[in-house]
Parts: sequence; C-alpha cells; structure tokens
Amino acid sequence: MTRRVLLHVGTPKTGTSYLQDVLFRNKRTLAENGILYAADRHDAHFLAALDLMRLPWGGLEREAVGAWDRLAEQVRGWHGETAVISHEILAAASRAQVGRALASLGHERQGGGVEVHLVLSVRDLVRQIPAEWQENIKHRSGMSYRRFLARITDPTRNSRIASWFWSVQEIPEILDRWGADLPPERVHVVTVPSPGGAPDLLWKRFSQVFGLEGMDLHLEEERVNPSLGVPETALIRRINRSANRVLPPADYRPLVRELLAHQTLSRRVLSPRLALPPEQVPWVQEREAAFVAAIERRGYDVVGDLHDLRGNAGLHPFVDPDKPRERDVAGAAVDAIKALLLETARMRAEEERLRAELDETRDALSRSYLRPSYRLREKAVKGLTRGRVGRGLLSVYRLARGRSSRSA
Amino acid sequence: MIETVDEPEVGERRAWGWVAHLTDGGTTPWRDWSGLGASQGRYLPGAQQLELLRRLNLSGRPDPEVAAAVLASSPAGRGRPDLELVGAGPESEFGPAPVDPAALSAGELVRVAASVLADQLVDAGPLPVAEPPRPSWWRRGYRLVGDPELADGLREQLVARGRPPGGREPRILVVGTDLATMTAHAWGHRAFGEGVNAWGEWLRLLRERSELPYGADLLAAARVWERRVGKTRVAVVLDPAAVPRLAGDRRRLAAPTYLPGEAGELARKVGSVLALLVLPEEGERLLRLRLRPRVRRHAHRVHGALPLAVPAQHRDWLEGAAERMRRGIKRAGYAVHGNLDDLVPRWTSLEDSPEISQAPSPEATLDLAVRVLLDDEADDRSGR
Repeated sequence: MTRRVLLHVGTPKTGTSYLQDVLFRNKRTLAENGILYAADRHDAHFLAALDLMRLPWGGLEREAVGAWDRLAEQVRGWHGETAVISHEILAAASRAQVGRALASLGHERQGGGVEVHLVLSVRDLVRQIPAEWQENIKHRSGMSYRRFLARITDPTRNSRIASWFWSVQEIPEILDRWGADLPPERVHVVTVPSPGGAPDLLWKRFSQVFGLEGMDLHLEEERVNPSLGVPETALIRRINRSANRVLPPADYRPLVRELLAHQTLSRRVLSPRLALPPEQVPWVQEREAAFVAAIERRGYDVVGDLHDLRGNAGLHPFVDPDKPRERDVAGAAVDAIKALLLETARMRAEEERLRAELDETRDALSRSYLRPSYRLREKAVKGLTRGRVGRGLLSVYRLARGRSSRSA
Repeated sequence: MIETVDEPEVGERRAWGWVAHLTDGGTTPWRDWSGLGASQGRYLPGAQQLELLRRLNLSGRPDPEVAAAVLASSPAGRGRPDLELVGAGPESEFGPAPVDPAALSAGELVRVAASVLADQLVDAGPLPVAEPPRPSWWRRGYRLVGDPELADGLREQLVARGRPPGGREPRILVVGTDLATMTAHAWGHRAFGEGVNAWGEWLRLLRERSELPYGADLLAAARVWERRVGKTRVAVVLDPAAVPRLAGDRRRLAAPTYLPGEAGELARKVGSVLALLVLPEEGERLLRLRLRPRVRRHAHRVHGALPLAVPAQHRDWLEGAAERMRRGIKRAGYAVHGNLDDLVPRWTSLEDSPEISQAPSPEATLDLAVRVLLDDEADDRSGR
C-alpha cells in the first residue's frame, strides 16, 4: 500500500499543465523510482476531479464516470512509496468532497493511515486576474474585462464567475478546505517565481516538493497554455460573441481555442499584454498582502519565496482590452483568417483524397453488382418479396442461413 | 438538554445545536435558533444543505437516511460553494460571506436536492431489463410517433389493454397537436432523457438553427416513415380520439396528463448530476423509469407548477414553422385525422396569464423536489 500521497490541488495558471505533462510522459521512470502517476491518458486526473466534484464540463464529464474511485483504488493499491495526484480544478472542491477524497486515499483523521501531503502552487493576483479572464474568453465567454472585474470584486460573489474565480484563487480559503485535517508541515505552498526569474526555477521547486530531483526525466516539450495579448484576446471575444451560438463546443475547441488562440494568435508576442487597470491595483495588493500574512501565520511549508505572491502591477502598462486599437485587432484578424484559410485548404485536400477513395470503393462495388450471379439473386429476392408465400420462404431461408453461419 | 446562550463566541456550538435540531425533524429557522450542541463531524454542513433539510421537515418527516444524505451532499454543478451560516463562527477575511439560510434562493436548494436525488436513483441498483410485450400476429399493428408525450401517454394505455405497438404491417400514427405545445412536450421529454438546455436557451438555439425539436416536426416524422413503409400506411393524427380506432381498439382512451415545466426542470438538474454517476444510456433509463413516476405522483400538487408557454419573442418563428408544416403535410398528401389548422398555435391572452409559465418557477421546482425526496412510495431510496 502507498505510504505517501502528494495531492496537488491547484491553482490554475501556475504551470500545472506542464507539470502534469512531464508526470504523464515519465510515468515509467517515476514508477521505477517508487512514484505512481496513475493516468492512462493525459487528462486522467482532470476526469477524476470532475467525477469527485460532480462538475459538468461541456459533455466531457460523461467520460469521467467512476474516474475518482478508480484513481483512488490505484493509489491505495500502489506497492511503491509515493503516489502523485494533480489537477488544478481540485482547488474548488467543497469540504464534503475533500473529506471523501482524503478518505478514499486512505487518510485517517486520527493518524495511522496514508500520509497525505497537500501541494498548492500559487501565483500573484496581479497576473492571475487577467489570466483567468483570458481563460474564460478561451472557453467561449463574451464577457468584457470590466464586467469580469466587477463580478469578481462584488463582495456577495453571487455570480458563477466570482464564485469559481475565488474558489480556485483564494489561497488561504483553499488551504482551509483542503488542509483542515493535515498538520501544517504537510501542506506545501509552491510559489511561481516573479517575472524575470530563471526559466527553470518553477520546475526546480516542483521537483523539490514532488521528490523528482536527480531523476532522468524528459522535459523537452512544453505543453503550456500560451497567453494572448490584448488585441488577440479582444478578437477571440468578438468571435465568441458572433459565432458562439452557431458553433458547437466540439468544433470550437479545435478551431478557436487550439488553431486560432494557441497555435496562431499566441505567436504575436509583440502585442501589449493584459494587465490590471490602475484603479484595481490597491485592492489587489491588499488581498495579496492578506494571503501572504495568512500563509506565514499558519506555518505551512513554503517552497519558493512568499514575496513572489506580491505582484508587480507596473510590469505592463494597462491597455484596455474592451477598447483595443482597431488596427491591432485587424492585424490579429488577418493572421486568424490566414490560419483558417490554410486549415480549410488542408481539409479540402483531405476531402479530395477521401472522395477519390470513396469513388474507388464505389467502382469496385458496382463491378461486383454487375456479376451475373448477383443479378440473378437480386431478381429472385425481388420476386419473392412480392407475395406472402415468397416472403415466408425468404424468412425461412434467412433463418437457416443465420443458423448455418453461426454454426460455422 | 438544550442550554440557551447568546454569546457570539459559541456560534459554532449553536450551529451544531441547529444541525441536531434539524436532524431530529426541527423546523426553527437559523435566525431564531439559540440552543447549543456538540460537534458531530469534521465540518459543519453548508447553509444550503441545512436549509433544504429544514424545508423537508416543514413539509413532512424525511427518512433519516434522506436527512443524512442531504447533510453530506454538496450542491451539484457550478455555482456558489457550500456557504457558512452567518453567526456560526468568527468572521473570516477569506471565503464567501456567511449567509442567513432562509434568504437562500430556491435554485441554490434545488442544486442540493438534485444531487441527493441522483444518488438515490443510482444507489437503488440497476433497473431490470423488461422484455417488451409482443403484439398479436393476427391483428393489424400500429406505431405511435410524433409528439413524444402524447404518443407515450396514448401508447401506455394501449399497452395496458394488451395492445403493444408493432405487429403485422403496422399503421404509423404520427400524433400531434399545436406546435407550441409539442415544443414544450419535446423539451420535457428530453429533460427526462438525454438532457436539455434551460427552456429559454433551448428555444433560442432552435430558432437560430431554424430547427424543430425531434418529435414535434410531424412532417419530418411522416417522411421518415413513408420511406420505410410507404405513404399509404402513414397517417397524421391531430385528433387523439381517433387513435384507438386507427390502432384497432374500439374503446376510448383518456387524454394523457402532462407534467408541468417544473418537472422537466427538476429532471434536467438531476440528469446533469447523473451524467457524472452513470453512463448516458443508464442515466436516461433512471430518469424515465425511476424518477419520472416519482415526479408524476407529486407534480400536480405543487402550487405554482404550470404548463410551459412559449415566450413572446419566439412566437412568430413557431407560427411560421407550424404554417410550413401544415402546408407540407397537405401537399405531401398524407391521410389526416383531425384539423391541420390545429397545428398552428393560437396565442390567447391565457399565454400571458399567470396560469401559464414562460419559464419553470424555481420555487415550484424546489417544492416539487422536496415532495419527491419525501415520497413515501419510492422504492428506490438508497438502502431500501
């Protein structure tokens, strides 16, 4: 049975996709080192989280039935030392769901069970707020930045946007829900380095907390969620508002999110970056300070520097994505049209190839229909189906043929 | 023995006292509660769960298992997380603001109820697979298609008389009524099946795609069956009284009773949780065969549960579609029983009256959910 479970529950936009990708691609190496990352597909832990939290996700939840229990069973049955579970949406789990998750992994409140370690990777709100809005846009939202900010600053948090945002971004509250039954030394807060830090610093911090140091892992391909600039995000928002109602989610994902946002528009790195409006900076800084004070007070294990949680609001000048420079948006739109044209051309070529293949198949089928024996059989069947007796004889023949083919 | 205190620092014990009170069937609102109790678990249930249990207690005596399931659940889907009771502890500078549970919206409580109901449906075990009755070979057969609620309601009665569908050279009866009613029926039918968007959103999408819902498009249904069996065996039936005669049964059939919009709304919410618990086919069977009978027993007792009406902004579109359907059926030359003009909705002042609902009422949906959770006749509660 597993002795130790490292449970990484968030937060979004803190390098989690990269970490999960490395863990998935290096499952074998990890297992040789006594670490289980139980995943038969790269989103296995995402599905487990959907199942645990009963969260619909555009139909994907249908693939998640029973996924958490299967994952927990694999973790409990692991013969090695450590098992790792990682997904950022787990940050939003309720207390009841946390209780169920910990119990299913073998955790015992009074001690004696599996040693559960909670890992929470965190980033400053100055970067997280625009990143969350952008993520909403890449998930079909047409909401303006101003409206998004108004929602998340509304103290009632009644809207879905606000309740989701804070459930995955309010660090002390996430730790309250997930860490209430754990001693503080088993709660590890990994900070995302401030902009300008060494590129591999975050990975080093993850390696340290997950015990991956010294292992020969393949790290070369990054599967990250690339960020968009101001005009590019504004363009996707306009596309959402225009096409959302007619474009099914199954087509939106590959065409808008992947082709346009990730593969095309994210390459426009010279565009102005998203930032906080100046009037929002004071309350964001006040929240960040409160987060830091709470983490310090509770005595968690901090991997990195808590100073990283105080964002640099002056890093990028604020450019309003609700009123972008139309020239910039037009430039982004031309790139988007070009990408769609190339994709359409590729699909036309594919369609042509398939059409040729279909024609060949049809020709072959027609040739077989022209054989005299086929035409004779066809004529006989047509004749028999005209009368009741004939139909009966045909049924008996089909029954007999079925039997003989089964016995054969 | 309950000790009465009013110091704010004993808020958590006061909350545990309220939990015990509700578990014992109490109905006192949180703001009027002052007794203390001992902790019964690792965390206090959320305000939504506690208030739902209070509503259950107000309406009846819930089974202890149901009460425990409510307290252990979490609201399904996206929305506000478990909320804390105002005054149950020191104010935290983090997390959502604590609430007075009596002020929670009905929709918040339905999220909890849907989660508990979905668990009940699944925990009762797999449904037995019933062998469909076989039609007599000597009788002319029939099939009922078209408006799914109307067809199901009539077919059920015929099956009960020993006249299952199918059989020798069946006559295809495409049954229907005005298009607005059929559209509402199609929505409710999908809610108890494969799942559906909220009523208003669903109508909006249909309109944008210029689509009629499956079952409500009688012309499309007639064409499909014409291709299979030939035109002579297809009849469009807008007069339900003609169905028994056409199906080869002389006795009259009762007019089917339809579920209000709130029944569909509750099924929709339960169905979205079921999608995470069982495979789609099993989920649809649980909704149709296990939830629907429970809902049917209570839906018409719920105050404010009403038939759904089409909101004003979609009426011109449905009128146009109904007119095209009327002309299409006439032009195609199908046998028609009843008046084809009945396909076109006639909007009356009733459509805008309080007797008809343009969207399911959250309060009535909650009332229905409470009654279904309290259903004494349910044979599918967990552990039974």
